[in-house]
Amino acid sequence: MKKVIEVKNLSKYYKELKAIDDLSFDVYKGEILGLLGPNGSGKSTTINCLLSLLNYQNGSIKIFGKEMKPDSYDLKRKIGVIFQEVAVFEELTVYENIDYFCGLYIKDKNMRKKYVEEVINLVEIKEFKKFYPKQLSGGLLRRLNIACGIAHKPELIFLDEPTVAVDPQSRNNILSGIKKLRDNGATIIYTTHYMEEAEILCDRIIILDKGKILAQGTSDELKKLANIEEKITVEVKDLSDKVLEDIKNIDEVDSVVLSQNLLVITYRKGKNNLENLIDYLKKNKVTYSKIFSERPTLNDVFLELTGKELRD
Amino acid sequence: MFWHNFKYSIKTLARNKMLLFWTFAFPIILGTLFSMAFSGVENGEKLDIINIAIVESEYFNDDEIFNETFKNLSDENNESRLFNITYTDLDNSKQMLEDEKIVGYLEFKENDVDITVKSSGVNETILKLVVDEVISQKKMIETLITKEIENTISSGNFNVDYDQIYNNVINVIASSEANLNNISSDNLSYIMIEFYTLIAMAALYGGVISMFITNYKLANMSAVGKRTSITPIHKGSMLLGSLLASYFVQLIGMGLLFLYTIFVLNVDYGSNLLLVILLALVGSLAGLALGVFVATIFKTNENTKMGILIAFTMLCSFLSGMMGITMKYVVDKNIPILNIINPASMITDGFYSLYYYDTLDRFYFNLISLIIFSALMIFISYSGLRRQKYDSI
Amino acid sequence: MTVFKTFWKVIIKYKGTILLYTILLVVFGTLNMASNDTSTVFVDSKPNILIVNNDVYEGVTKNLIDYLQNNTNIVEVEDNEEARDDALFYRDVNYIIYINEGYRDDVLNGLNPVIDIKTTGDYQASLAQMILEKYIKVQNSYLADITDENELIAAINNNLEEESKIQINSTVDTATTSRLARYFNFASYSIMAAVIFIICLVLSSFHEKTVNKRIIISSMNYRKHNQLILTSSFLYSVIVWILYVVLGVILFGDALFNLRGFIYILNTFVFTFCALTIAILISTLVKNKDTVSGIVNVVALGSAFLCGAFVPTELLPDTVLNIAHVLPAYWYINSNELLANIEAINFNTLQPIFINSLVIIGFAILFIVINNIILKKKQIVG
Repeated sequence: MKKVIEVKNLSKYYKELKAIDDLSFDVYKGEILGLLGPNGSGKSTTINCLLSLLNYQNGSIKIFGKEMKPDSYDLKRKIGVIFQEVAVFEELTVYENIDYFCGLYIKDKNMRKKYVEEVINLVEIKEFKKFYPKQLSGGLLRRLNIACGIAHKPELIFLDEPTVAVDPQSRNNILSGIKKLRDNGATIIYTTHYMEEAEILCDRIIILDKGKILAQGTSDELKKLANIEEKITVEVKDLSDKVLEDIKNIDEVDSVVLSQNLLVITYRKGKNNLENLIDYLKKNKVTYSKIFSERPTLNDVFLELTGKELRD
Repeated sequence: MFWHNFKYSIKTLARNKMLLFWTFAFPIILGTLFSMAFSGVENGEKLDIINIAIVESEYFNDDEIFNETFKNLSDENNESRLFNITYTDLDNSKQMLEDEKIVGYLEFKENDVDITVKSSGVNETILKLVVDEVISQKKMIETLITKEIENTISSGNFNVDYDQIYNNVINVIASSEANLNNISSDNLSYIMIEFYTLIAMAALYGGVISMFITNYKLANMSAVGKRTSITPIHKGSMLLGSLLASYFVQLIGMGLLFLYTIFVLNVDYGSNLLLVILLALVGSLAGLALGVFVATIFKTNENTKMGILIAFTMLCSFLSGMMGITMKYVVDKNIPILNIINPASMITDGFYSLYYYDTLDRFYFNLISLIIFSALMIFISYSGLRRQKYDSI
Repeated sequence: MTVFKTFWKVIIKYKGTILLYTILLVVFGTLNMASNDTSTVFVDSKPNILIVNNDVYEGVTKNLIDYLQNNTNIVEVEDNEEARDDALFYRDVNYIIYINEGYRDDVLNGLNPVIDIKTTGDYQASLAQMILEKYIKVQNSYLADITDENELIAAINNNLEEESKIQINSTVDTATTSRLARYFNFASYSIMAAVIFIICLVLSSFHEKTVNKRIIISSMNYRKHNQLILTSSFLYSVIVWILYVVLGVILFGDALFNLRGFIYILNTFVFTFCALTIAILISTLVKNKDTVSGIVNVVALGSAFLCGAFVPTELLPDTVLNIAHVLPAYWYINSNELLANIEAINFNTLQPIFINSLVIIGFAILFIVINNIILKKKQIVG
């Protein structure tokens, strides 16, 4: 597969603080790569370094096989970025904002017009063309922000947490839009601290913490790292210590955690676990109200790797 | 690309109402207020006809010289009329003085005259001066007549013609007026300085426009700046287009202000229109440079930058005489070094020298100072502007 | 208590602005103390002049210069024409007298030599010219008969020695009281700006949608909350008033510790209260913070310029003063001016000042009523 981005030994520190610590990774053509990590893990810093907005101390960055520099205009032309902050002119309408940014890439007027119309349809903000950013809701504003970043049909798109503080409807709209872009052939780098999003959307995920890569691979590959295959949660009342000890000794049980009324049991292998547990509970006359089983999540992976939760 | 950016920069500026209020409307409002408040000041300082009272008495009626002098000085057909006289009695005079209907009154006694006024002041001094002069004339007549008689007698002529001598003396005194030649400039209206400082303030306020537009182009100052930084456009040409747009908008504001001050407020900029325009162009440039400087050097939010810029502009305007024209002169006279670093003062002084002076040395000095100031501001901002990669954003 | 705390927090955030208006007042107050500012009517009766002597400093020339030195203020200015022209333009001097070379000889030869002058054309300049003309006239008259220079000088000086008797018939030191009046006139601007600007900003912070919603859903009674805000605003206005009174005491000292000073202070309080009502009205009308600063500047500066806070009222054109009648500051400044000239303070003489105060209170009531009408309408709509 063709490499679109090659990052080797990238390091960036602010005085003592290491924002990025010896990062190396590749991005392949046509994939959606997720950068997953909690706030402050270095996701945005990485992107800003890749875009040549930030100085870095060490490492090399190649995009489309060429070294990325501030005046690599031929490279910049193929890149689209959607920043975390909404970056639009308050004084321009939705249409004008998109037209302005698109115009910085596309010289031909007719072509530009076509592109702007297309992206407006893509993010579904046609009715709001003549609105000013102030008149838009948070979700619509995000969509405008995205439109401004991708109107010029870039081959490589960076999305830096585009769904923060967005209503569910707009979020779905955004996520499906991103998939459409990938289907049209774009390569996408997507940073987020929502693991569900990363799971649904990304072909490959890099988990970052404190500027370091903890793990990378597909969602399934990563979940193997969690060392568990099943997680069962039971809502219980009054549990004796003995019962707790007993459960720990059930086959394949990895860990048992009781917090308030929720008993969470993880299993290394996933066969008949739910059945066995229910049997045991019945046998010992433990009353429970709800019980459900789930596959491990990326949060469990993160927990396994760092000992802390991904969610803040 | 250049025009695309230029066009949208203008659109952005033209739609920012706050920006337009402060840079376009506010100077015009302030100018109108200046004009309303100051239009009467200079006329108020001209010598008015002074209201006085003379207490009627036989002593006054008998005193021919006093009688004549005051009659003459209160004659409505006399161009150099000084007084408006009420002839009345003492009680009424006192009451009138109490009510401030008159500046003072004269009370004649035998060989003597008393002046009564309410406070010391210029009008009071003039009244006293006129009385003094009459007394001095009387004395002069006395001395001269005595001298004439002495001369006549000593020349051996004992046939003294008193009337002849008296008339001679009066003629001599009448023809003894001073020979003064007024060589002052016609353009002495110091209120104009108020309007020049206003232009200076407006020019520097223009910095708000360039600051605003520069902020939009710097990746470390705004999100939009980040977005523009990743486009395949050379940063220099982008900034140039935006700053030209900002200069263009500034000049429209400046032009409106000039038209308004010239045609509505009747401000006099002297006769050299081309140089006035040149100064306005360079002044606006200084404002633009100042705005770029503030945008680039201070890493803080837009409101704080706006605060810094406006505070600096107001301080400069204050020092160049906007809140009291005397201030400019005090600085000119005592701390001239301040004028070399105060762009508002350079602009004000430039207009002043065009209005008041015939020679252009001082004007060019101001003009060049302004250009140096602008160049310096841009030069300091240059590394910040040129920068494409940052340590942190 | 939270309302108070928030209120002060916001005020402290804008301390720079308050400081700015206060500094302006202090600068103005102190400048006023020292200067015989030419833009005001009541000044020293000796005009400021300059003499440029290109002749010898001897004989009749010396005598002329000595005479002028005694009867005018000779201003020190750098010895070049540009400095002199500047001084004339900015009214540092009102009259410049150029004594040409050979003046002394020409006078003694009875030629009545030309004297070049530059003049600002105002009353000070007129006074200077009268003084100069008087001297020359005496000199020329005596020249008809006296040819000896010493004799001539003696005759001139002897003649000019004579002075009339002048007496001042007034008990009020109007110089001090009019300085006080000017201080409080200017204070009207500082008070308007500091009170309206800050209160509008604070109230708009409270009015801001999200905050407002938060307040409404909080446990505190909405009406009580509003009352607390109003009380805080009132307290803040009182503090501004005290601040400017204390500044006045620092600048003028004893002059304020008497009945006249007390009435000045009282008037200022009434005016500050009126400014508070304007602030409340504006904050009801305008919600946007940016707009507030624009409106406040225009309102405060406009009223200051039109009512005579910066320029003495006697120098304002009548049309401007007529317009100013619709502004509270006009009545306040009118009171200050009246108060400066009252000889004996009693019920009769104070009557016009009471009436002015009533007008200001009337304005305040009017603003409150308008404010309430708007609030009612808004409630129905919203």
